[in-house]
Amino acid sequence: MNRHALIFSLLLATAGCSTAQPLIVTAPRPAPAPRAPAPAPEAEPDRFPPSRDAGFPAPSAEARRIPEPVIPAEPPPAAPPASAALLEQSRSQRAAGSLAAAAASIERALRIDPNNAELWLELGEIKLADGDPLQAEQMARKATTLAGGDFRLAARAERLLAVAASCVRGDC
Amino acid sequence: MTTRRKRPAAKKKTTRKKAPARKKRASRRTRRGGIFRSLVGLALLAGLAATVGFATYAALLGVEISREFEARRWDVPAQVFATPLELYPGRSIALDELVAELRRLGYREAASADRPGRYRISGAALDVMTRAYRYGAEEEPSRRVSIEFAGRQVARVVDAVGSDLPLLRFDPLQIGSVFPVHGEDRLILEPADVPPLLIDALKAIEDRRFDQHHGIDIKGVLRAAFVNLRAGEIRQGASTLTQQLVRSYFLSNERTWSRKLREAVMAFALELHYEKDELLHAYINEVYLAQDGARAIHGFGLGSRFYFGKPLDELELHELALLVAQVRGPTYYNPKRHPERALARRNLVLEQLASQGIVAPDDAQQAAARELDVLGEAGRSASYYAAFLSLVRRQLFEEYPRDELERRGLQVLTTLDPAIQAAAESALIRELDSIQANRESAPPLEGAVVVTSPHNAEVLALVGSRKSGYDGFNRALDARRPIGSLIKPVVYLAALESKRYTLASTIDDAPIEIRLENGQTWLPKNFDDRARGVVPVVRALAESLNMATVRLGMDVGLERIADLLMRLGLEQRPRPYPSLLLGALSATPYEVAQIYNSLANGGFRTPLKAVRAVVSEDGERVQRYPLEIMSAAAADDVYALNSALVQVMERGTGGSARRALGADMTVAGKTGTSDDLRDSWFAGFTGDRLVVAWIGNDDNQPTGLTGATGAGRVWASVLRTIGTVPYTAPPPAETNLTWIDLDTGLATEPTCPRAVQIAVPRGEEPPLARSCGDIRPRPGAQIRRFFRRTFE
Repeated sequence: MNRHALIFSLLLATAGCSTAQPLIVTAPRPAPAPRAPAPAPEAEPDRFPPSRDAGFPAPSAEARRIPEPVIPAEPPPAAPPASAALLEQSRSQRAAGSLAAAAASIERALRIDPNNAELWLELGEIKLADGDPLQAEQMARKATTLAGGDFRLAARAERLLAVAASCVRGDC
Repeated sequence: MTTRRKRPAAKKKTTRKKAPARKKRASRRTRRGGIFRSLVGLALLAGLAATVGFATYAALLGVEISREFEARRWDVPAQVFATPLELYPGRSIALDELVAELRRLGYREAASADRPGRYRISGAALDVMTRAYRYGAEEEPSRRVSIEFAGRQVARVVDAVGSDLPLLRFDPLQIGSVFPVHGEDRLILEPADVPPLLIDALKAIEDRRFDQHHGIDIKGVLRAAFVNLRAGEIRQGASTLTQQLVRSYFLSNERTWSRKLREAVMAFALELHYEKDELLHAYINEVYLAQDGARAIHGFGLGSRFYFGKPLDELELHELALLVAQVRGPTYYNPKRHPERALARRNLVLEQLASQGIVAPDDAQQAAARELDVLGEAGRSASYYAAFLSLVRRQLFEEYPRDELERRGLQVLTTLDPAIQAAAESALIRELDSIQANRESAPPLEGAVVVTSPHNAEVLALVGSRKSGYDGFNRALDARRPIGSLIKPVVYLAALESKRYTLASTIDDAPIEIRLENGQTWLPKNFDDRARGVVPVVRALAESLNMATVRLGMDVGLERIADLLMRLGLEQRPRPYPSLLLGALSATPYEVAQIYNSLANGGFRTPLKAVRAVVSEDGERVQRYPLEIMSAAAADDVYALNSALVQVMERGTGGSARRALGADMTVAGKTGTSDDLRDSWFAGFTGDRLVVAWIGNDDNQPTGLTGATGAGRVWASVLRTIGTVPYTAPPPAETNLTWIDLDTGLATEPTCPRAVQIAVPRGEEPPLARSCGDIRPRPGAQIRRFFRRTFE
């Protein structure tokens, strides 16, 4: 119990050091102009000042560059060497008949590269081979959402989806 | 524990019953003869009975101790491991962050990385020799590598012969174990893992005649008695290692003659049944070395981890000597509480090792000059992951019998990321302290944080209290509180799913009256009590407008919203009352994380997971918990919703949290505040991390904090300190990204001040505004929307 108290006070002490730093880093946009009467910080809430009279004034049009799209739609990136190596490892595990290990390697690759549609497809194909068409179908769906403009991947996902769906119906 | 306690007690009873029975039989016979003969006979028979009795007693004790010994030999609590550190080119981690990770793993800086567990920094590169280990079924050899950095990223990982490695995995940090109720935790060492020096040192310090005696050291007893008699106090003990082993099995510290006798008999019996090295090996795994709260640290394997954070075979002489010194009394010689006693005892051990020729005198002297070098309290508390472990236990106890977990030496591979856990713990403490620094005499606020990796729903960190390492009330798992506006994204997603609304549709944020079932009328109000009038859907969500949300939700239907909550991962269907629309739904931070994880994962639900695999002690059997996903909501609807959650951060209530992050860090999130500011929530995600934060009082008193001013700070603070990537997602095929005016919902130029980018279904794009400031929608737009709503 004393130890907990000690840990706590130590952490308090270290945390205390950081209070001198600004809590909120300066925003990319200018801060809103203070309005009278300024509300207490606690009372300034889950609320956003009405835009037409104050709030988050945006910079003037000329100061503002054409912004980047807010949700960057990344092109499917070239797989980093780590996930490519794991994909290769998974394929040889699969070839050796070890589906569980092959799936584990893909999961490991996904931790590094979660938006890689090819990895999801690969996992779906392993699930199909492992007699789990339901998951194969889901993986194909997930891959479709990530394929973006890559038609080759989209087509592969379509094929997997079709095969898995018919397997789910007991027809494969 | 209970079974173990019962066993000796039951035996005792049987032994006692037998002795009186024999005496009765003996006494019957003596009545027939003369007095003298009777007396001699009596004496003889009594002697015989005593001998038989004692032999029986001894034999039974022998059986008991052997059984105990056998049971204990393999009695190993499941060991729980964090996710291993992986390095690869492109991974974002700075050199100093890597050093922190290595130190947490017990790696030490040295002049050369020539042994496992050592690293060396040379300029912007780090040389390290990894430890060999087995992760699940995969063997990883020890590797000597050089890691080169480019800024805050790994540039290359190069092995000893100069070739590039695509991926390098370190041994995983052990974060705890599933020890039994009686609290004995241990980490079994194989004989090969025990350094010969430890064996020599133990014999030299604890039992010099170990190799000669038969469990009891008569000479030692006499010597000790002599020394103690002369000193007039207890200076020396004469317990052999075997006696100490017996004592530690029965957890008894009473100093009675009967216990001493039992102990001696059992020690003798053990020596009869087992080889010396078997006994020594058992001793090394059994001896009590420290207390850590409810957890008793047994054995040198765990002792080394506990005091120094590294495996036994990496200990230096001064560290090993301190462990040996602890054998005599971990409480009395506690190096944290009584460093001077611990130091004196350690140096005495070193001195004796030198005088007995076990180590060179110079080495002993150098070691005696070293610090104690035990892990600090901070390192200790971070090494015990109480909140996360309780989640692991709950998930394991659903599938494994307790006994299996507490005794079979299973290895549990979990999803915890120690660096993220440390970041989340310190972010919560830092922000709570800073919030409270500005207040007088407020009750101490509490908080909780959950961090997941959305694509596989792995729980990376879990903080259940501001006291890290605290094994008490786990708020992340058990504090069920109203989630307030955190529910709104679900309401809006249900609206998008209905296909009657897009983010550019307008809704009226005007006073609304809802007639409730009980006949009362509910008049929801905006937070600031002001109505915004007609606003686009995206703005109503961004600014968390209550009246607009209630109007939207009532139109979409409460049943649909309750259904959607279930699809996203809520376990119990909420009652479809209108107040549900504003978050009159109580959930734990963990349950909120489950719901938001489905949003962050593009509409795919995956049960949150803390355990990746459970591996049998021999590594042969592996129970995996594979990645499984289930489509819970259409990808295009979730994509659109997430584009609005990005606007919550860019233009709405998440603004302050957003500004605490870097300019190019796109994030999606939502604030939540319950009535009277009792609960402050924030949930949101980047490209690869979901963070849910909650702040409140345990007694449910108001905190004076909104979602933005409380939990939002913790949320941003966590994300600022962990490596993460901006939220990105390719737009679905039937979706267009379009710029609209936040006030009117009309399409506008990206350069306009109130322009926001949102996702709308193809063909549903709003009409173009005449200019940036155009606040009146074209009449055609309203009419077209009216027709679409009416006829579709």
